[in-house]
Amino acid sequence: MSAAPTSTRRVGTTLLGVLVALVFLAPYLVMVLDSLRTSTDVKTTPPSILPRQWQWDTYATVIGDGRFVNWLQTSLLVAFGSTALVIVVAIPAAYMTARYRFRGRMAFLVVVLITQMFSPTALVVGLYRQFFELNMVNTYGALILTNAGFNLAFAVWILHGFFSSIPVEVEEAALLDGASRFQILRKVMLPLTRPGLVTATIFTFIAAWNEYIVALTLMLDDAKKPLTVGFRSYVTGYEQHWDQLFAASVIAVVPVVILFAIIEKHLVGGLTAGSVK
Amino acid sequence: MTPRGRRRRRQTGQISSGAAWLWLAPATALILGVVLFPAIQLFRASRGEYSITGLRTGDAGWSNYTAVLNHPSLEVVVRNTVIWVVVVVAATILISLGLAQLLIKQFPGRRIVRWAVIVPWAASLIITSQLFVLLYDYNYGIINHLLKKVGLIETSIDFLGDDRLTLASMIVVGIFVSLPFTTFVFIAGLNAIPGDVMEAARVDGASAWKRYRHVTLPLLRPALMVASVLNVIYVFNSFPIVYTLNDRNPGYAHDTTITFMYKLAFESQEKDVGMSAAAGIGNVLLILVVIAVYMKVVNWQEQTR
Amino acid sequence: MTKKSLVLAALTASSLGLAACGGGTGAGNADGGDGGDGEQATSIKLVAAEYSKDNTKAFWDEFAKKYKEESGYDLEVQIISWDNIDQQSSTMIQNNQAPDILNLNAYASYAKDGLLWSAEDVIPQESQEDILDTFVKYGTYDGKFYGFPDLASARALFYNTELFEKAGINEPPKTWDELRDAAQKITDLGDGNIGYALPLGPEESQGEFSMWLFNNGGMWKDGDSWTINSAENVETLEFLKKLDEDGLTQNNPGRTNRADAFDLFKSGKVGMVVGFSPLAAQLDEDGTVDYEPAPFPTNNGGESQTFGVTDYLMAFKKDGNQDAVKKFYELYYQPDQVNTFIEKEGFLPVTESGVERFSDNEDLKVYLETLPNAQLTPTDDPTWDKVKLAVQQNLGAAMDGDPKDVLDKLQQTAEQQ
Repeated sequence: MSAAPTSTRRVGTTLLGVLVALVFLAPYLVMVLDSLRTSTDVKTTPPSILPRQWQWDTYATVIGDGRFVNWLQTSLLVAFGSTALVIVVAIPAAYMTARYRFRGRMAFLVVVLITQMFSPTALVVGLYRQFFELNMVNTYGALILTNAGFNLAFAVWILHGFFSSIPVEVEEAALLDGASRFQILRKVMLPLTRPGLVTATIFTFIAAWNEYIVALTLMLDDAKKPLTVGFRSYVTGYEQHWDQLFAASVIAVVPVVILFAIIEKHLVGGLTAGSVK
Repeated sequence: MTPRGRRRRRQTGQISSGAAWLWLAPATALILGVVLFPAIQLFRASRGEYSITGLRTGDAGWSNYTAVLNHPSLEVVVRNTVIWVVVVVAATILISLGLAQLLIKQFPGRRIVRWAVIVPWAASLIITSQLFVLLYDYNYGIINHLLKKVGLIETSIDFLGDDRLTLASMIVVGIFVSLPFTTFVFIAGLNAIPGDVMEAARVDGASAWKRYRHVTLPLLRPALMVASVLNVIYVFNSFPIVYTLNDRNPGYAHDTTITFMYKLAFESQEKDVGMSAAAGIGNVLLILVVIAVYMKVVNWQEQTR
Repeated sequence: MTKKSLVLAALTASSLGLAACGGGTGAGNADGGDGGDGEQATSIKLVAAEYSKDNTKAFWDEFAKKYKEESGYDLEVQIISWDNIDQQSSTMIQNNQAPDILNLNAYASYAKDGLLWSAEDVIPQESQEDILDTFVKYGTYDGKFYGFPDLASARALFYNTELFEKAGINEPPKTWDELRDAAQKITDLGDGNIGYALPLGPEESQGEFSMWLFNNGGMWKDGDSWTINSAENVETLEFLKKLDEDGLTQNNPGRTNRADAFDLFKSGKVGMVVGFSPLAAQLDEDGTVDYEPAPFPTNNGGESQTFGVTDYLMAFKKDGNQDAVKKFYELYYQPDQVNTFIEKEGFLPVTESGVERFSDNEDLKVYLETLPNAQLTPTDDPTWDKVKLAVQQNLGAAMDGDPKDVLDKLQQTAEQQ
């Protein structure tokens, strides 16, 4: 193809990209601006696009608040813990069901799928009882297990899909070389499923990061609450700190976006490496 | 290249059930412990009679189920749920297919656009819902403000309090927050398509649309499956959006079955945990049937064999 | 193909079957919970509602320390936001894990379920005598005092003095007609000004409506019979609907929650709203709106009635916790504890000694004078706990429908319970 149409097309694509980015960011831009207003300014008619009075110290207030720091720590710990657990548990299950036939394989996959359909909202009472009996109410472990359990299905499923799509010949060669199943999984299969792993990781991380109902019920100690629950303290029927709510929200979104930015690079790299073949 | 031939060769071979289940053991334990056990508890609760305080006062047999089925608002709640799920999922998939196509193209700043797309997903749903309540607001909402400024409207639109608009306003937010995940599933799917396949089609002289229709879409099938099934489940089970955007409206006129279930237990005049549990079991059965039918239609077995 | 459906069906059936078997082993019913075996508990748990982000937790943490020093028992404190406390407490009780002390806005249903200690078991005599009579009355279920108040609030009419001046109104309205005139004049100022902010959305519509109906000689309940659809109450709701129809309220009052009405008032665009001391505290902090509280106007110009609200600290009856619970109340009702809490949170006292202590506070004068005669919703009737929810979910519908119909249905709901 000649260069001219490609570059016009590229400009068009870029413009479209900018537009998409704007649409996705606009609401959060409002959030950032609201975090820099006074709480009253957030609720003033008519609204103004820019703060009538810039208030920068809200961020200092929020970060200086020990409770907020605790909530942030809990959220990070639980999100990382759940993600690690899901990946470790899902890989062998997905590999096995993708590559081998055995009794109960279908049943396993169906059960996995069914578990995906339960909403934690409906199950909180049962979860509370269970973790009470295990003496795990108010522990990070309970939250990590729950988030891992409810997000396992997705990880198994997506990895299953990726494992299935890899040609058998790749493995057969390694098998002939005398590699064990575990070695094949680690050295041959996992590098090829990196996009799937990345998707499963991001997915679990974000789901755990956003979880609300279970954390609300299980984490009794204020210091152990995650951000999603802690947010509730900023705006209630008795007092409304809109500025702090939005400042806290901005702070909470940033680590996830950064995490994604890091992983996304790997995703692109892994994909280019994989698609050369 | 017959797909069937390729598919058949995906299995490596036989393995003893014992050895296989060893690999599945951790996953099985997690599922049994964290999902199935509480689900059994839920079923037990649905057969119990409860006081408004949450105290179990006796056995209810199936009366909680009949109470839910005879609830005057059930019909409207189910109708809302169907509209909510179908519209949000369908629109999400269509828009995401386009977005993914755009985001796999090379252009300057692509990475930044991808980051922007992830933001609604990275922000907690609770926060996004709260944010949209404010954006939509009748008095302070920026949306009304802008519409008035450009002269499209004279007086504010009551996006969340006008019965004709409430569901639509919630659907927009539902789509907005579902796009990132779906788009990225499609990006991963598109990237998994071997370059030589597309190259071959291009050499054959197929038009862009033909290539998309006959090469890309069929190869995207697994991604489409994942995206549609999971979106149906997530959108169906979605709680914060409907709950937060609808919190000003009395009764059940804009509730879905999930918020209906929650309100039955804690906010409605019924305030009955047993009835709510029965509604919860109903929710699971409903989604189970929907997914089973869907899988039958798309022939899931063929995919996983 | 059908094989898959079969697997699905079998799985569903087996998991449900499993569940059915599980049911047989019996989910232990109302049998005490932890701390059993007649042993003395060494630690008790308090589940408290969060009134304010900065003060509630700080107070209870401090209180727990003091309590440990004085009684030797540990006090485990859990603070929950108002949005979630109903769900939390219900979950705990379903699992037989009720806390020892629970802070909530209702108690009668818990008393009816036989879960609570009554005053004679856990409240020292002198504390009992100190609690204001009106709260003892509304805290008494079936002849026994169970609903121990933690703090109180009373509502008043807040009016924006600047807007009143602009509209040429010299003093706050004393009758509903005057209120309507004032609302009309403020609305006529234009520029988005709103005469009266009327929150009849599901959050707290029973509170707003209580204030109005008490000032029309109405009641929720008269003796043992419900009077929700009495002539006075229908007249009241019709008056409110008229206010809306005449454009004297904010947009869509049937779908406006209390917090939103407060936000409107704080933005300086509203002439009048029913407020209480926490709103006053925030207005004072912001300093952007000039306002005054006034007694709520009555329909016929009679003496203004105030609507009072109290929340409760109820004590769950468990083996071995009686002494620890008693020590808790002994400490809480000491004037420097209960009143410090109330002062910090910006509410009103629940005891005689508290009223005395707060009496020199000018800001609270308008509430304090009316507090001992405040009317409450019938919190002493467990039925009210459900009726309240029915009111919250349905009252707003009267703005688009027939007020009498709405109240008739609520009356029916109350009588059916």
